[in-house]
Amino acid sequence: MKLAYWPGCVSRGFTPELHGSMRLVAPKLDLELVELDRANCCGAGVIAEHNQELVDTLNARTFALAQGVEGAVGMMNICSTCQGAQSECQQRLDADGDYRREVNSHLADEGLAYEKSAEWWNKNFLWLLVEEIGLAKLAEKVVRPLEGVRVAPFYGCYIVRPTERLGFRDHPNRHKYLDILIEILGAQPVDYAGSHKCCGFPLITMNRTTSLRQAGRHLADAIDAGADCLVTPCPLCHLNLDMQQPEAQKFVERDLNVPVLHLPQLVGLALGLEPKELGMDKHVVNTGDVQRKVRELAAA
Amino acid sequence: MPQHDVLVIGAGLAGQRAALSAAEGGASVGIISKVHPVRSHSNAAAGGINAALNPEDSWESHAYDTVKGSDYLGDQDAIEIMCREAPDEVLHLEHLGVTFHRDEEGKLGTRAFGGASAARTYYVADITGQALLHVLYEQLMKLEAVDRYEEWFTTALVTNDSGRIAGAVTRNLRDGSFELFKAKAVILATGGNGQIFNPTTNALVCTGDGIAMAYHAGAPLMDMEMVQYHPTTLAGIGLLITEGARGEGAHLYNAEGERFMEKYAPNKMELASRDVVSRAEQTEINEGRGFPDGTVALDITVVGAKRIHESLREIVNVGRDFAGTDITREPIHIKPGNHYVMGGIKTDINGQTGVAGLYAAGECACVSVHGGNRLGANSLLDTLIFGRRSGAHAAEQARGSGMPTPAGSELERERSLIAEITSRDRTGRRISEISSEMGTVMDADVSVFREESRLRNALEVVKRLQEEAKTVSVDDKGSIFNQDVLSALELRFMLDNAECIVMGALERKESRGAQYRTDYPERDDDEWLKHINLTANGEDVPAVSYSEVTMTQWEPEERKY
Amino acid sequence: MAESYTLKLRRYDPESGEPAYWSEYEVEQHPERSVLQGILDARDQEDGSIAIRCSCRAAICGSCGVRINGTSALACNTQLGDAQAKAGVGKPIVVEPMGNMPVLKDLIVDMDAVHWKKIQRVVPWLLPEGDPPEREYIVPAEAMIDVTQSMACIQCGACVSACLALEVDPEFVGPAALAKAYRFVGDPRDGQHEERLRDLAEDPHGIYDCTHCFACIEVCPKDVAPMDQIMRLRRRATADYDIKDKNNGYGHEHAFVNIIERYGTLHEAQLLPRSFGDGSLIRGQTEPAAVKQLVESLPTAARGLASGKVSPRKALLHPKLPDQKSVRRIFKEIESKDERLEINMYIIGDNADDEEGAMAEGSQES
Repeated sequence: MKLAYWPGCVSRGFTPELHGSMRLVAPKLDLELVELDRANCCGAGVIAEHNQELVDTLNARTFALAQGVEGAVGMMNICSTCQGAQSECQQRLDADGDYRREVNSHLADEGLAYEKSAEWWNKNFLWLLVEEIGLAKLAEKVVRPLEGVRVAPFYGCYIVRPTERLGFRDHPNRHKYLDILIEILGAQPVDYAGSHKCCGFPLITMNRTTSLRQAGRHLADAIDAGADCLVTPCPLCHLNLDMQQPEAQKFVERDLNVPVLHLPQLVGLALGLEPKELGMDKHVVNTGDVQRKVRELAAA
Repeated sequence: MPQHDVLVIGAGLAGQRAALSAAEGGASVGIISKVHPVRSHSNAAAGGINAALNPEDSWESHAYDTVKGSDYLGDQDAIEIMCREAPDEVLHLEHLGVTFHRDEEGKLGTRAFGGASAARTYYVADITGQALLHVLYEQLMKLEAVDRYEEWFTTALVTNDSGRIAGAVTRNLRDGSFELFKAKAVILATGGNGQIFNPTTNALVCTGDGIAMAYHAGAPLMDMEMVQYHPTTLAGIGLLITEGARGEGAHLYNAEGERFMEKYAPNKMELASRDVVSRAEQTEINEGRGFPDGTVALDITVVGAKRIHESLREIVNVGRDFAGTDITREPIHIKPGNHYVMGGIKTDINGQTGVAGLYAAGECACVSVHGGNRLGANSLLDTLIFGRRSGAHAAEQARGSGMPTPAGSELERERSLIAEITSRDRTGRRISEISSEMGTVMDADVSVFREESRLRNALEVVKRLQEEAKTVSVDDKGSIFNQDVLSALELRFMLDNAECIVMGALERKESRGAQYRTDYPERDDDEWLKHINLTANGEDVPAVSYSEVTMTQWEPEERKY
Repeated sequence: MAESYTLKLRRYDPESGEPAYWSEYEVEQHPERSVLQGILDARDQEDGSIAIRCSCRAAICGSCGVRINGTSALACNTQLGDAQAKAGVGKPIVVEPMGNMPVLKDLIVDMDAVHWKKIQRVVPWLLPEGDPPEREYIVPAEAMIDVTQSMACIQCGACVSACLALEVDPEFVGPAALAKAYRFVGDPRDGQHEERLRDLAEDPHGIYDCTHCFACIEVCPKDVAPMDQIMRLRRRATADYDIKDKNNGYGHEHAFVNIIERYGTLHEAQLLPRSFGDGSLIRGQTEPAAVKQLVESLPTAARGLASGKVSPRKALLHPKLPDQKSVRRIFKEIESKDERLEINMYIIGDNADDEEGAMAEGSQES
């Protein structure tokens, strides 16, 4: 399956282990990724807050670049925030022809234009796994079922709300995909209060207390529900849940210390890749316990 | 014991407007409501508010349309006042912040409405009542001079030795405590009584409390038989599809695809007055040209999706959520349904009732500006004009007069009534059984078409239910938010309302406005161009008397649309 | 056809001295009827002591906000069939009181203590400048349609119940009140736009305490989209009034936008310091509060380096996009426009493209 691939800014910046693990997982799933190296930031909700036409144009540009990838069946992203921010722009672009033409006029210089099409899509790796690759096919490829590993899903707001914009009408189970995947990979999904809540990242520079209380609370809930680790399809959530975790501890006044995996890392482990090559040593919160469990599985 | 110069009971549009104008008049004001004010049923008045505000329009034209719409039962002095004062009231509300929709020049925009000879309905999408209600509540939040008692239920009015109003007994629903509120003037603004019919467009709170309390306090009720069936309501649950839809151009069809209004109102078609359209629909349905679910079709698709989205958004939601119909793409099935009571507590043009110091405004009152049939978008206007006039008049009267002393021991009586209700054993019927039987018989026998034998049957059922209501059982014995006891009290109020409606309908032996008697199918101006007044007299049935309809400049003529 | 539903209600009687408990009720009802109808059936037929506020049954009075299967909603416009589908086959439909507000009894919460207090906080009435005109204020037709979106709020509290920022910061002004604030800031008749915006920008629990989680948008029964209104408040505060707040809302937005304009993609290592220097590239006027926050964030940045995920070189040097010129031209083209072009999905609907045709048909017929 050939895909236009938008890794997003954070996976190429502060979470290189995400980008790296996706690169290793793709061939194992027969995905041919054509990276959109000329594409720009999705705006992460912030440019939308600043100027709607600007953010719609920037994403129309990304879509146009993706539509230009010969033979690609669609566009894949690996960031819940990109998914949400881009879906929001796409909704506006698709709703109004006059508006779309105005936006495309800014792209004409580069010879680009976004074309509305019922066939074209932009999907997060999470959605792609379930809807395009398929659970049965994925299950066949699992060589190391992650038995006994208790994984708490953390979706990220942008990929679960608002449901109407995010295509839940056609795919009503999108809010359950992580749970389903965890099971398919042989691990045990952990049911806890925070799975669909906010990691607090959008507030980190504006209201650190609210932000880190959110991160801390959800991590604590996951720990209390028995999680060995969390998994998220969103690198921004990862920043607040992993990188900020030592700080978040202070706001909930307890020790946390629970690793947070990127979705491609979890998939990679089940497909037989090693923790080190998946960048699991590059986390702030030590992933040693999870690595140990996986090694024991391999030994068994 | 709280006391106020002016005590307003009910906090919908009429009540809030009355409270604001009484406060402006310098009175100390308390406003009591059994629900939070913004939950009031004024929300449901979707389509708009009438005013002859355009230079090409005139208040006389508005008044004539209203008189004609009322089938000449409206009092023309009151109608003149309402229509004259309408433009200033709309401008006042605009200045307070109501987000009335604009025309292309940025001026107030209008839409067409039933029974009107000009497009003079001002609107906020199809949430006009809600917008008005919320903006008035903003003013109440701003104004510290008005004390709000939210979620307090008034159970009885209190008079002094000479029969003048002295206050009201009220129960705080949050903790069950009782208070006797003293007041120099009491303004009832408790809304309509649609819940005595099933189905109805009315909210669950519309149980005719004020009408029943005024009746028990000795105030005459007027023209109670005049009950409006709205032409476009959903079958079964009764929810309203605004007349604004027809105002924007929607058509009515029977099951054979005929635009049947051609037969009944060739000039105004779907925009004839509501009584005419409802009778036309019911005739089509009764004669077998309706759909199997007892409905006809309203086709809104002709309005165009963009305009629907912009100005009829609410009914898009109602259609989708409650009928499973996308009104932008397909017709929706509707039928006539209980909507509004033109009758109510008889008042003069300042809201004064037959009890000194007691006022009434809005749907619970009968001034009468609606007579036998209310025009769409005149009800919001009625609430505001007569709410304001009542508040101003009450404040004026209160100035300089002393606080009356309540006679008797109503507070104790109401307390022991509650104690008696909660101490009953559970042998009686359930509240819901009684109200459901009442609703069914009222809709079957006291609706669009009426006749003597069926009205007699309804009266008999209502009288029996009144007896059964005295021993109704409740499950909740507590004090905090005891909605079970609340329902028991409302049930008695509703049955009093029902009795008066049936009595009025039996009394009026003619067809006029919303009252259509198949046994007296003609309007009879010689005999019945008069108001029917009902007064509680301690007997088995209320005392009936008559009063003249006030005529100023419009003689009755044949009514055609 | 009527079907059988099990409603599992969270009951609480403050007079009993007992904690809240669950009760299940079986009702027969049509799947298209509402959860409210189901609850009223249970009350009518089985237990008259069940307490729930309700009135209009048509999603206009805002009384019956509850949580159904964990999601905040109006009971009257949630259909039993849909609620059952969400609950899952053979499972009860779970109904609880709204969140983020104290429970008074059963499904009734104290809205005064939370919701209405916050509404009062935003000065919820029009403050026009000077005396009113003789007739109406002349204002653009679109402006009134635009604020109708926030005017459409029925104060049901569903968004307050669902708000994920309120959950951790009870002081947050919150989605309903901020949407109400936009109703005035978006109203051309109001004369206090800047004062209102400044007030809500400087409040640490104001517009920059929204965590952008979409929970309010998801649950709002009237499509008010409170979070969108909050973002519009931010847009007005920064772009129209240049309000440089001490919460770094302005700084964060400008730093982000400037970085994208310069590099095309996000450069997190620069985002923090720049946010706290109101977004300028080098010599930001740094607020004292900002310095404190910047210092607080340093350990995190250091940990990023220590974990090996970010090299010092990478932290300092961010590669530009190969064709960053194009991105910069787009910025210039759009930001130099006199007016921001915005489309509102609330007004145009999902498919304005199709509707051009529908509109033409309508006008031909009338």
